[in-house]
Amino acid sequence: MSDTRLRAGDTHVEAVKQRFPGAVRDVNRVDDEQVCITVAADQAPDVIEYLYYQRGGWMPVMVGNDERPLTGVYALYYVLSMEEQDPGFVMVRVEVPADTCAFKSVTPKVPAAVWSEREVQDMFGLRAEGIIDDRNLVLPDDWPQGTYPLRKDSMDYRYRPEPTSDIENYRFLKETGDHETTVIPMGPMHITSDEPGHFRLYVDGEDIIDADYRMFFVHRGMEKCAEDRMNYDSVPFLAERICGICGYAHSVAYAESVERAQGIEVPLRAQVIRSIVLETERLHSHLLNLGLVCHYSGFDTGFQHFFRVREKSMDLAEMLTGARKTYGLNLIGGVRRDILAQQKVETLKYCEDMRREVKDLVEELLSTPNFIKRAAGVGRLDPKIARDYSPVGPLVRGSGFARDVRWTHPFDGYRLIADRHAPVTRDTCDVAGRTLVRVDEFMESLDIIEELLSMDLPEGPVLNDKFNIVPRRFSLGYTEAPRGEDVHWSMIGDNQKCYRWRAKASTYSNWPVLRYAFRGNTISDAALIVGSLDPCYSCTERVTVVDVKNGKEQVLTKSQLEDYCADRRHSPLER
Amino acid sequence: MWKTIRQILKTGDATVQYPNAPLKRPEYARGKPEHDSVACIACAACAVACPPNAIQFVVDQKAGTTTWSINYGRCVFCGRCEEVCPTRAIELTEEFELAVFDKGDLEETSTYRLQRCSECGAYYAPAKEVAYAARILEQSAGDDDEVRVAREMLGKCPKCKQRADAYRAKRHSETQKREAGEK
Repeated sequence: MSDTRLRAGDTHVEAVKQRFPGAVRDVNRVDDEQVCITVAADQAPDVIEYLYYQRGGWMPVMVGNDERPLTGVYALYYVLSMEEQDPGFVMVRVEVPADTCAFKSVTPKVPAAVWSEREVQDMFGLRAEGIIDDRNLVLPDDWPQGTYPLRKDSMDYRYRPEPTSDIENYRFLKETGDHETTVIPMGPMHITSDEPGHFRLYVDGEDIIDADYRMFFVHRGMEKCAEDRMNYDSVPFLAERICGICGYAHSVAYAESVERAQGIEVPLRAQVIRSIVLETERLHSHLLNLGLVCHYSGFDTGFQHFFRVREKSMDLAEMLTGARKTYGLNLIGGVRRDILAQQKVETLKYCEDMRREVKDLVEELLSTPNFIKRAAGVGRLDPKIARDYSPVGPLVRGSGFARDVRWTHPFDGYRLIADRHAPVTRDTCDVAGRTLVRVDEFMESLDIIEELLSMDLPEGPVLNDKFNIVPRRFSLGYTEAPRGEDVHWSMIGDNQKCYRWRAKASTYSNWPVLRYAFRGNTISDAALIVGSLDPCYSCTERVTVVDVKNGKEQVLTKSQLEDYCADRRHSPLER
Repeated sequence: MWKTIRQILKTGDATVQYPNAPLKRPEYARGKPEHDSVACIACAACAVACPPNAIQFVVDQKAGTTTWSINYGRCVFCGRCEEVCPTRAIELTEEFELAVFDKGDLEETSTYRLQRCSECGAYYAPAKEVAYAARILEQSAGDDDEVRVAREMLGKCPKCKQRADAYRAKRHSETQKREAGEK
């Protein structure tokens, strides 16, 4: 007997079938919240555009997969998070023939696909026809042509090719109209920084006309490493090391992608523990960002105090998990540590302390007259741009969109309390808005921890290890990390190994819009704007200024730029 | 302004005295894994479970030994080894000050003898692991066929075991045939 009940995403599949007769070749139900449709390659961009703009879809990521050993073709999975009526995830699967290696680009219709499509071009050598921006995204300029790292038959994960050229041939984008501009490159790296990026600001006097940037200088090849040598159960520990701040969110996202694909039931108690620890992680991450916002707006006392309070959230995490960071708590099927009665009491005490202290500090921050003056109206992210590029986290919520995967697609312990919560939003679209979103979310996190702890949870084991792994099943796992949603896609292959694992970190979705947030601001705002995205700061370690008119170069240090950002006097350019 | 100053005065000193005074870590904090080479049976469960391959086994067929090693530089202190160990031979401690001057000091090893097959003489498993299995079999109360066969097979390498299995199956089917014929 077949189940006739409508499940999440079914109405979207029906709508696509009606609107594009014959386009849908296959429908594959992944789990209650996810459905995958295989669509004719030439109609894919239209189908995706329809789902995105007319049915309330957002695109977290597109996943490329070399399925030649399984089905003889490459496959692309465009992941659409449906957030209006009938919330759920719809994956649009497009097959790319192994002989032509070409597909129709979706980017001209849905700009949110741009980074994912560029990445697929780099990693699989699949050509996105019609993509406007086809520069390398992940691979360096001197990577040998024809070596596509994620193809199954291309290379060992330890392979490090010799550079093929000494010159940088990357083209930076520039839309400056008829302004005469000076180029300010920031970055790319300093030997001590772990997350470098290269920014190029085009300025007319002090005003930023346009900006472009480049990341992936230290691409670690984690996906390839996991596919080559790890089994499904040890990847959560690797996933945790994607980010030094929100690693646990990655670990949960990976674990849930496997659990959903395999239909593994996670004990309710473990689900709630995961949510509590995720919120603990948000506590320390938001305090870090609030501290840094203080620092960048010239209120260093606040910075010190926020970091002092942050230490409590680190202690809380250490008490609950055994480590300050990289909690190592997840396995497929649940968690490895229970929260004991004594720990519950201590957690509640920590929460109370932090609430009191942060309330005072925030009051202080907001009553500091130069903070609001410094942050209001700066780094405006237009809601229209936001709609096109699917940014995530406080960035998109600060521009008025209620996107928060905890409440739009409730998972884990959040399911139990989803009816009492809603995403925190602001509609000022600026740095101040994003900061206030973080303040409110911090307070909400404390509420969530208290709510979940006070629930009467069923006792019993927190880890389910009674399951068998069926190869070739795939699904998505998603969590709301402090910076926005993390989406992981995984497929287990033979011998209990990872066949393909795609990890999308939250900031991956946020970088493409930064360019638009930069425009119309001054150089002194640049650090503040980058800071409001909450990425790693090491990128601005070192700055070179190039005056295009006379070709003069000038090197600025990080501290010069930061000082200028903090007090906005003595421009380092005036000499 | 006054608020800020009051706040500073109220907070007092937030800096801890570490390293001049010991740092208090919470209960169950995860630190350096400590290996007990006497309890260890060299079964390699920890090496299989270890996500970063910090624990490894290297078998030397010539010398008839297997060498367990841990590299604390690779260790991520997840505690999977502790979880899977059947004899509690490896346990996490609270020690976290692991810096060394010489990289080689990050590695610890212990070597175990391998057992020869009672039939063909090839090395096939760590001697302590075989002894451990023997102890478990001794304690198992059941005296059914399965346990009896397992005891017989204990000293044999997988190849000889396979051959013996095949012979036993052959004998078994012959007996059945004969019995069927007699009836």
